[in-house]
Amino acid sequence: MGKKERYQNRIELLQGTLDMLILQTLQWGPQHGYGISQSIRGRSGDVLQVETGSLYPALHRLAQQGWVTSQWKQTESNQRAKYYRLTPAGKRQLLSEQSRWAQMVNAVEGIMNPAPEEGQP
Amino acid sequence: MSLWDWLFRRRQREEDLDEEVQSHLRMATQERIEQGQSAEQARTCALREFGNVALVKETARDMWGWGWLETWLQDVRYGARQWRRNPGFTLAAVLTLALGIGANTAIFSLLNALLFRNLPVRQPEQVVEISMLDRNGQTSSLSFPMFEEIVRHEKVFSGTFAWLGDATFNVEVNGAFTQGDIWAVTGNFYSELGVRPVLGRVIEPVDVNLRGGSPANVAVLGYRFWQRSFGGDPAVIGKSVRVEGLPFTVVGVAPKGFTGMGLASDPDITLPLTAEPLLASQPLEKLYTSETSDDFWLEMAGRLKDGVTLALARAEMEVLWRGVLERTVPAKYDAQQRASYLAARVDVASAAKGMDRDLRSHFTRPLVVLLAIAGLLLLIACVNLASLMLARAAARSHEMGVRAALGASRWRLARQLLTESTLLSAAGAAAGLAIANWSSVALRNLMDVPPAFHVGPDVRVLGFTAVAAILTGILFGLAPVWQVTRQDPTRVIPQESRTIAATTGRFGKALISAQVALSLVLLMGAGLFARSLHLLRSLDPGFQREGVLLAQLFPRPNGYKDMDNSVYYSDLIRRVRGLPGVLAASLSPLPPGWVTLMPQKTVAAAMRPEEASRADVAMVSPGFFQTLGISLLIGRDFNWQDNERAPRVAILSRQLAQQLFPGGAAIGQHINIGEDAKQQNVEVVGVVTDVRLYDVRNPNVSAVYMAVLQEGEFAHYEALEVRSAGDPTVLASSVRQTVDSLGREYVLRAGTLSYADDVAFLNERIIAILSEFFGGLALLLVATGLYGLMAYSVTRRTREIGIRVALGAEQQGVLWMVMRESLGVVMTGVAIGLPAALVAPRLISSMLFGLTPTDPLTIGMATVAMIGVTLVAAYLPAHRASRVEPMAALRYE
Repeated sequence: MGKKERYQNRIELLQGTLDMLILQTLQWGPQHGYGISQSIRGRSGDVLQVETGSLYPALHRLAQQGWVTSQWKQTESNQRAKYYRLTPAGKRQLLSEQSRWAQMVNAVEGIMNPAPEEGQP
Repeated sequence: MSLWDWLFRRRQREEDLDEEVQSHLRMATQERIEQGQSAEQARTCALREFGNVALVKETARDMWGWGWLETWLQDVRYGARQWRRNPGFTLAAVLTLALGIGANTAIFSLLNALLFRNLPVRQPEQVVEISMLDRNGQTSSLSFPMFEEIVRHEKVFSGTFAWLGDATFNVEVNGAFTQGDIWAVTGNFYSELGVRPVLGRVIEPVDVNLRGGSPANVAVLGYRFWQRSFGGDPAVIGKSVRVEGLPFTVVGVAPKGFTGMGLASDPDITLPLTAEPLLASQPLEKLYTSETSDDFWLEMAGRLKDGVTLALARAEMEVLWRGVLERTVPAKYDAQQRASYLAARVDVASAAKGMDRDLRSHFTRPLVVLLAIAGLLLLIACVNLASLMLARAAARSHEMGVRAALGASRWRLARQLLTESTLLSAAGAAAGLAIANWSSVALRNLMDVPPAFHVGPDVRVLGFTAVAAILTGILFGLAPVWQVTRQDPTRVIPQESRTIAATTGRFGKALISAQVALSLVLLMGAGLFARSLHLLRSLDPGFQREGVLLAQLFPRPNGYKDMDNSVYYSDLIRRVRGLPGVLAASLSPLPPGWVTLMPQKTVAAAMRPEEASRADVAMVSPGFFQTLGISLLIGRDFNWQDNERAPRVAILSRQLAQQLFPGGAAIGQHINIGEDAKQQNVEVVGVVTDVRLYDVRNPNVSAVYMAVLQEGEFAHYEALEVRSAGDPTVLASSVRQTVDSLGREYVLRAGTLSYADDVAFLNERIIAILSEFFGGLALLLVATGLYGLMAYSVTRRTREIGIRVALGAEQQGVLWMVMRESLGVVMTGVAIGLPAALVAPRLISSMLFGLTPTDPLTIGMATVAMIGVTLVAAYLPAHRASRVEPMAALRYE
């Protein structure tokens, strides 16, 4: 079993979404774990709370897949923190996740709010 | 994370993860402080928000991908700790497994060497042997002209070579005589096999001058011979060795492990092919006198060209063969001999595994049977360990219950237990390999196979051992797994660990019954082999084996030169008979009991050929019947005047005489033996009692005796039989001196005729010895297993027994109560084992002599032995139970 397959097997909606959200967040530049969780929370208007119990395993999983790399750096407040950065493979993965996401949103939308079909009275 | 990182950077990664979590907490706390919370409150809130730090770390670690290895290592560490804590149990278990796995590995090592190992030469799978099958389907070597014809016409081989191997000659090194295994080879022998010398050079084409000229007197030493005779001295090159009196200059040493063209061969000295006729004191022309040579002495092999299959080579050789035969018919042959010669077929077979057909056909079946018996023993050991493990699992059920309650899955618990048992079997296998290493060599020596036959472990043997270890580990680990995964933690935890064991009772007893059943099958097999050997040994061969010294004679260099056989041998016998303590002496070409002869079709001259009887043909000297205690019924014995100048005479066994001459009066009649022209119309001069001279198993006692001296100058005796008034072995040295004093021969070895029997029954003896040994081990295992179970059960029931005694139970009654329980277990096993023990031995019925596989005496003895031994094992705990002091027992808990 290859890495890819093992990864696919683990996908559940929430988890897959979390990976996508992390990748999306890192698109704006390297960030540490705490920053990522704050960023996701802030951008979602406090709707999405990322559990640390999911965040760190997700980050390590993404690192294992080779989609992010990490490096210790100083924060603005002079703290030592581990910064994650998107790799080229991670960028490609993000693109495919984005299109899958769009498909899913459309599909779910189509079910929830069916467009009035033409030709029907 | 790569395996490398996991192995060597894990600690660093752990620290890294820890620091990452800490930095998260610091930042979260910092932010809360900035929002106005107190430092302590901020820290608490950050921690609460973060959740279970250890769990987060653990799930993150799982993402590294080596979690399974981590937990497995934990299991191994935990298991090792378990075993260290119970050294007695561990030692017993490892020893049991070491014996079981070791026995299997040792026997497999021999089978592996016999069946799967290739010759240590370059690309052995390309090497094929070419030989001849005569009219009777007997394999024969080729004549030199045949070899030349094949070389001239074949197109499938990239190279062809020939040799004469495994010939024993006198070798003289620095004045000391030894016997050497001499090979004579063509110049390309070594290069075709891709064998390079460790010292000097090998035999090369320039050494083998097949067309006239004097051959090079050079010799290549075998590695072992070089070590043995020259102490591995590198200055051996240029030194001289004498073979059969002729000097040869050492030019090189063959590499270690080179065994010629056989896996069990050990060429001491290799000479150019052209040296061989000289050794036999024959003119060199013997090699290449085409058209006249009917001397089939040469073995031949070829290396297949790339892309040529064995089938293709065989097809081509079959096409060529007719022409080869027609061009090489010896001119001296008459029409009948010619027809016989032209009827021979060619045989092309792979030589990749060496030309050890005899070895393979002789030992494969016995070894397979032994492997099956050893496998049965290992199975018994597994069941034995399973019941021990079960008792331990019962003692640990509290622990397991707690682990299950804490969230360990059944699979996790099972894995833990299986890791523990596999750990044990791996330790057993490691010790077993050491045992196997030693005992495979011992077994090889017992089989009388030369030490050149390499039986050491290779990849296949190690793989076999590893598979055996894993399978045994799983097999005996399954019982506790079954037990533990079935139990309900909520019931187990509140209980005292001592009271739980009651539940293992039934399963534990079933395992002991299984051991009894399996052991009974093994004992039955062992008993059958032992009885069969005993019957063979007690067979009356019809002559007196005891009191006879058997000396094997060997010629000195040129010892047979200018020798008049009848003068020499009659002189030898006269002198030996004159020795004090000698009653009679005689000679024969082969030691009685040593070999099986090809029976020949024998017919009275007056009969039609279809009425022929099959009879063994034995060549003997005058005095043979007297020496071996065979009675002459009528007529006369041979005398020294029955030589090649006198008309041929024969003596018949009684059975043959009755078959050929039902009317009686065989004396003076004439018979035809086989197809040899010299053995037609032979006069019968005597009749002797029926004996089983060469193979005591052979029910056909028809035999024709002839005088060897009538065979001509090349007829020699190899066996000297001396009947002694007392212990025959004390005659050995005086017989040796007598042979030496005549200067032509010497005694290679001397022993008793009974020893010859040991050689004849070698296979039966090996199987009997080993299966008895395995049977004994199986009994021991059953006894310890039953003892362990009952001792444990008595300890558990001390309180109950105490109460019984306090209430008035008699000692006898308690004893009987425990014995009855054991007897129940044993009899259940016997009931299951008996039908199996009556059916399974059918597989070996062809290897038994004089009994059926359902021999009632054997099955009776096996059952009695089994019940007897188990009763002794059960008596000890029963006795202890009967001695329980009621007061002590009641205070016990």
